Parts: sequence; structure tokens; C-alpha cells
Amino acid sequence: MRTYILRRLLQIIPTVLGITFIVFLMMRSVPGDPVVALLGDAYTEEDAIKARAEYGLNKPIVVQYVIWLGKLVQGDWGASILTGRPVLQDVMIRLPVTLELVVLSMAVALLIAIPAGIIGALRRNTWADYTATTVAMVGVSIPEFFIGVLLLLVFSIGLGGFLPSSGWIYLPGTCPTMVCGSSLWGNATHVLMPAFALGIGRAALLTRLLRASMLEVIRAEYVTTARAKGLAERPVVFKHALKNALIPTVTVMGLQVGFLIGGAIVVETLFAMPGLGTFGIDAIIARDYQQVQGFALITALAFVVINLLVDLTYTFLDPRIRYA
Amino acid sequence: MATTPRSISGGSVGEAELRSVGGVGWAGARAGRTESPLAEAVRRLRKSATALIGVGIVVVLVLVAIFADVLAPRSPIASNQAQTFQRPSWEHPLGTDQLGRDMLSRIIHGTRISLAVGVSSVLLALFVGVPFGMIAGFYGGRVDTGIMRVMDLILAFPIYLLAIILMVMFTPTAGLIGTMKVTGAIAIVRIPIYARLVRGSVLSIKEKEFIEACRALGVRDHSILFRHVLPNCLAPIIVTTTLGIATSIIVEATLSFLGLGTQPPTPSWGWDLKANIAFIQANAWLSLFPGLAIFLTVLGFNLFGDGLRDALDPRLK
Repeated sequence: MRTYILRRLLQIIPTVLGITFIVFLMMRSVPGDPVVALLGDAYTEEDAIKARAEYGLNKPIVVQYVIWLGKLVQGDWGASILTGRPVLQDVMIRLPVTLELVVLSMAVALLIAIPAGIIGALRRNTWADYTATTVAMVGVSIPEFFIGVLLLLVFSIGLGGFLPSSGWIYLPGTCPTMVCGSSLWGNATHVLMPAFALGIGRAALLTRLLRASMLEVIRAEYVTTARAKGLAERPVVFKHALKNALIPTVTVMGLQVGFLIGGAIVVETLFAMPGLGTFGIDAIIARDYQQVQGFALITALAFVVINLLVDLTYTFLDPRIRYA
Repeated sequence: MATTPRSISGGSVGEAELRSVGGVGWAGARAGRTESPLAEAVRRLRKSATALIGVGIVVVLVLVAIFADVLAPRSPIASNQAQTFQRPSWEHPLGTDQLGRDMLSRIIHGTRISLAVGVSSVLLALFVGVPFGMIAGFYGGRVDTGIMRVMDLILAFPIYLLAIILMVMFTPTAGLIGTMKVTGAIAIVRIPIYARLVRGSVLSIKEKEFIEACRALGVRDHSILFRHVLPNCLAPIIVTTTLGIATSIIVEATLSFLGLGTQPPTPSWGWDLKANIAFIQANAWLSLFPGLAIFLTVLGFNLFGDGLRDALDPRLK
């Protein structure tokens, strides 16, 4: 097991290198560069050439990438060309926001999907099942930003501004610098709507999957055996059926990470949250190369680490699955 | 021979009971009556109320997109400074936006962009992905490794990161060219999905006896691939395509929402929704209607795709 994890951790390196290199290539083939934005109205060809030399943008692309990589190994993520701020510092300030959003939205998704999926499968073709499947169908068809808009209309505008429509207050203890405001209540009011906006679609998808795999598992012979030996319904459902039904669900949760990143960008934009999503999209649009690299790096890392966690979850759900 | 299946379906064992056994003897019973797989699928599809709702929504949307010029009461891009932020009325059933443009007309014309991008991006991904998947699966070895490495590389990317950077590379513009750029970006992201799917199907089909028989008869490779292998992996392709259109429409709306889709003045639902959020406090309907349009479209294709899956492959239900 330990060698397996070690091997997988080593495999992270080529994947992350691949993703960051391709992003590097793609960003540099985008028309226009950050120097144009940096110089603004005072743009002259001479200044631009000088600035490009200063930031090393005149070197061959591969050389630029190797320089970036060389600094990265020493813990230097580079500095933004436009703001001059260290990229790592910006990423660290924004990471807790996105992390909290994603973790809470997954919690929302699971808290809705597990009961709804189980009820849908156990009470198949009853009104409870029809309600669960209909709501799930609606849920997978609504884009996150529209759920967000509906939540805004109800809780920010409808109920007399009950929840704030934008901004962020850090959860106490997660603020990486001395200046940011943090309070438990303030954090809760700010994170609630975004977490639901991002979580509801995921909940709907997982409900459909879990119901389908529960239906398959519940007919399996080992479930009949468990019932025949006189086990109560609860352990039959939760210990025997659910654990096995969760395997395909967990797989899809892993595959959903790519969509989750997109969802985080959208939800953070809608609710004007200072997270990694808004950081990334702003950087890409401004062609701030160093920031984009930082964003690609942290996204690629998150992507591969979560996929590793998914594979490790299998061994918990089904101990027959062993990695050597 | 023919009497055996008939005696099963007409005998003491009820049809419902037989079905619950799940696949036991049922295929044989079907084979007794000559019904083509297509006719059987259509029959199953027509039985499902939700699938028919989906088909209905899709048909209506396609008609709206085709006849947008006739259906829209006004121009979707002509602004009228005297009539900004009109509430829904007889004159403007869905109101007007900050430039005095008729929302109903914008939403009707937006159907075109949504459907065009949704359908054509999936078709494009299909036309590239399916041949690659077939070749990779059929020939195996180095060809397979080479093709699938490239596909895995694209799959290794979080889908939105790739789509966003592609759109920045293409620089979003308005009109037909702008729509084609979005289509291209979404298609690239989705090619590996079809390649993987088809490769998997081909891998299992090429080991079947009838392919061996084809080989023994001296049928050429491309003929085996297109006439014997491809038809047998059509079912999952059709289902994934229909559901894929729903996903593509969401991705298009999301890109538009982020300002990276087709640019104004071309009407696009995602862009309209985003642009009107600034005025949500007093004019909530402006963001509501484009959102509802996206939701309805995606719902239609999802219901249709779900119905197709149940119809084409009852084992998946």
C-alpha cells in the first residue's frame, strides 16, 4: 500500500509538468502579452522591448519554462507582471476561500444525494422515488450560475437582504495574513449560498448515480443472504448495499473534479468571492503569465491529488481492492 | 423452432414476470417475432412519457431556432433608448434590457447560438473522436498507445481550464465566426470522451465470432470497421451524443457567462444572464428568462438522452 501511494505520488510529477507546460505554451500563443497591459497608454515599442527583456519574455519559450520550473523547485512561484505581488502569496490568500467552498459544496451534495439515492432505490416507483428522480433531473439540468441567481433572488433580495450577495469573510483560523476580517457568523452567511449553488447540481448527479447503483446492488445475492440471516434492514442497507453502491459514485465524483473547478470559477465570479477561481479567470484574461502558471499548477495539483484520494477510497469501500 | 418462444410469451408465465427475471430467455422470445432493433427502440421510446416530453422540448427548440426571424417580434440587437427596463407587457412580453432591446426576441434568437454550438460541437467531437477511437481499438499496439496518450493528455486537463484558455487563445468575437470559435473550443475538450467510448466498444466487439468470420471471408479492414464494428457500437454513441449536447450547452452558457463565449451584440443566453445581474435588484426578470431558457433546453436534451438510453439498452436502466 505504501509503495503504491509513493508510486502514485511520483506519477503526479509528469502529469503536473505536462499540464503546466501545455498551459505555458497555450498562454504564450495568445495574441497580445502582459507588457501591453502593463504599459497601458504610455506604450511605445522601445519600452515594450525593454520590459520584455526585464521579465525574460524575449527568451525562447522552452527556456522561459525551464526558468519558471527552476524557480518553482526553490519554492519561488514568480511574481505577477501586472501587480508585482508574489504569486504564491496570492494563491495562499485565495486557497482557503475556494477550499471551503468546494468542501462545503461536496458536503451539501452528499447530504442530499445519499438519502435521496437510497430512498429512490428502496422505494422504487413510489411517490418518494418519483420526487427524488424528478428533482434530480431538474438539478442536473440547471447550470450553477442560474441556481446562484435564484438563490440571490430569494435570500439576498427577496428576504430583505437576509444573506449578503457578494464578498467574503474568512473562517476564523483560515486567514493567512493579518489584515483579513474573520468571523464564524460572517463566514457562514457568505459561504452558504455559493456552497449550495455549487452543491445542488452535484447532489442531483450523485442522486441519479447512487439510485441506479443501489438498485443493482440491492438485488444482488449477498444482500438477500444478509436479509436471510436475519440482519436488520439498517445494517443491510448501510453496511452491505451502500458501501458497494458507492464505488461507481466515488468514481464519478473524481471525474467531476474538472467540472467542479469550472463551477468554482463561475460561482466565485457570481458572488464576487476572492477565491482561486476568480484569481485564475482574471489572470487568464489579463494574460498575466506568472499568475496563470500559478493557477494551472495549483489546479493540476488539486486534480491529481483528488484522483489519488478517489482511488484510495476504493480500498475502504471494498477491501478486496488492493494496491500493491 | 418458432413455437417455443411463442409458448413462453403466451403461456402461463406473465410477461411482466419474465421481464423481472432480467434478460432470461427474453431475447430469444423477441427473435421469434421479426422486429428490427430500431423499431423495438422506437417502440420503447414512445412508451416513456418523460422521453416524449424531452423530444417535444427539443423539437420545439429546433423549430424556434429555424424560424427565429419569423417568430421574434422585434430585432434582437436594435436598441431603443426610450424604452429601457420595461416590465413585461403586451408590447414586450418579457420586458426590455438596459439598452431597450426586446428580451423575448433576444431569447428566441439566443436559441440559435445555444443549439448551434451544442449540436455542432458534439458532432465535431464525434467526427474526430470516433475514427480515432475505432482505429486505436481495432489495430491496438503502438497505434493505440499513440492515440490514447494524446487523448489522455487532453483528459488530464480540468475541462473548464482547457476550454477557457482555448477561448482566450481564439479571442472571442461576435457573429458566426465567434460561434464557430466556441464550437471549436468545446469540441476539442470533448473529443477524448468519444474516442475512449468507441475504443472500449471496439475492443470487445472485435473479439466476437462474427468479426472472425468476416476476417476468414477475407473482408477488408475498413469494411469490417465501418460495416460490422461501427453499427454495433452505435447505441452508446447515440446516447452519449444526446447527453453530450446537454453538457455542451451548459459549457457554452458558462463560457458566455464568463464573457468568453460569442460576443455581443450576438444574443447569447449566458451573456444576457450575466449582463443583467447588475440590475437584478430592480429588474429580476432580466436574468430569470435567459436562465430559464438554458434550463429548459438542457432539460429537454437530458430527458431525451435518458429515454434513448433506456430504449436502446434496457440493461442500463
